[in-house]
Amino acid sequence: MASKNKNVTPQQKQYQQLQKKHELKRPVLKNCLKAFLVGGIICTIGQAISYFYIYFFDFTEQTAGNPTVATMVFLSMLLTGFGVYDHLAQFGGAGSAVPVTGFGNAVISAAIEHRTEGFVLGVGGNMFKLAGSVILFGVFSAFVVALVKTLLQIWGGL
Amino acid sequence: MKKNVYFTIMLLTAFLLLTAGCSQKGHQDRLALIKATNPAPLHISKQDSANAVQSIKKDVRSFPEIYDVAVIKGKRTTLIAYKVKHMQRFRMKAIEKRLNNRLEKKYPNEKFTVSSDYKIFLEVIRLQEKMKNRDISKKQAEKRMNKIIKLSEEMT
Repeated sequence: MASKNKNVTPQQKQYQQLQKKHELKRPVLKNCLKAFLVGGIICTIGQAISYFYIYFFDFTEQTAGNPTVATMVFLSMLLTGFGVYDHLAQFGGAGSAVPVTGFGNAVISAAIEHRTEGFVLGVGGNMFKLAGSVILFGVFSAFVVALVKTLLQIWGGL
Repeated sequence: MKKNVYFTIMLLTAFLLLTAGCSQKGHQDRLALIKATNPAPLHISKQDSANAVQSIKKDVRSFPEIYDVAVIKGKRTTLIAYKVKHMQRFRMKAIEKRLNNRLEKKYPNEKFTVSSDYKIFLEVIRLQEKMKNRDISKKQAEKRMNKIIKLSEEMT
């Protein structure tokens, strides 16, 4: 950034100052609050679904996670298809993208975007355009954590 | 667009109403997931084990991190389900280890299965209620208890 500023002409500098004057300030705190609220509501719904599985089915706290995640992803996929999740994401930002529901949204929105290119090369080929990186880094980080844990158990006596 | 929003809201409301409708049994187990129930300890087989069960419950209850305990004593094992205070849940494994150590020291001839899982607590309460109402025979109760122990050992 510093090297960039060195080469600017006086006109460019003037323009930058003008741009700075008119630029809208990002409401960081407001965005954080919105993300906290939306993310919190999504997680509360997830907790309720988890209790639903614990109460009515033979799932323990340990095992209820899998069907809960599946249900949340499925619900977010439905909401994306209906066009509701986009509005939620516009309002909540990271609050709707960070929970697992964001994964469902990423899969379905990419599928909808590329459906005009055909089912195989369009939907099939691009469905995991965004979610692919989530899966890759998720699996990789799980591998690293498991490796660290195993090494700690072997050498650290955990 | 508005139609879609209304449709989704209706779908979610219907889901919530349906799931709420399922819980009209009207027993103590309905609240077991939310608040402390503190049920009296029960034993399936021997009559003389009433005092032992009471004492086990008292020992578990003496842990400051634990706020709710349910105990059932079967033929071979004693099943202990407990709830840990919310902020102490980070140290769940350490609490379980301490509890196991204390119980093994105090009752060397007993075999214990301890669990801090809500599901196990809920199932113990359900079994206790069935036993109290005499809806279940001793043999069936023992069978059910073994099933709960198996459930508590499930990892995936």
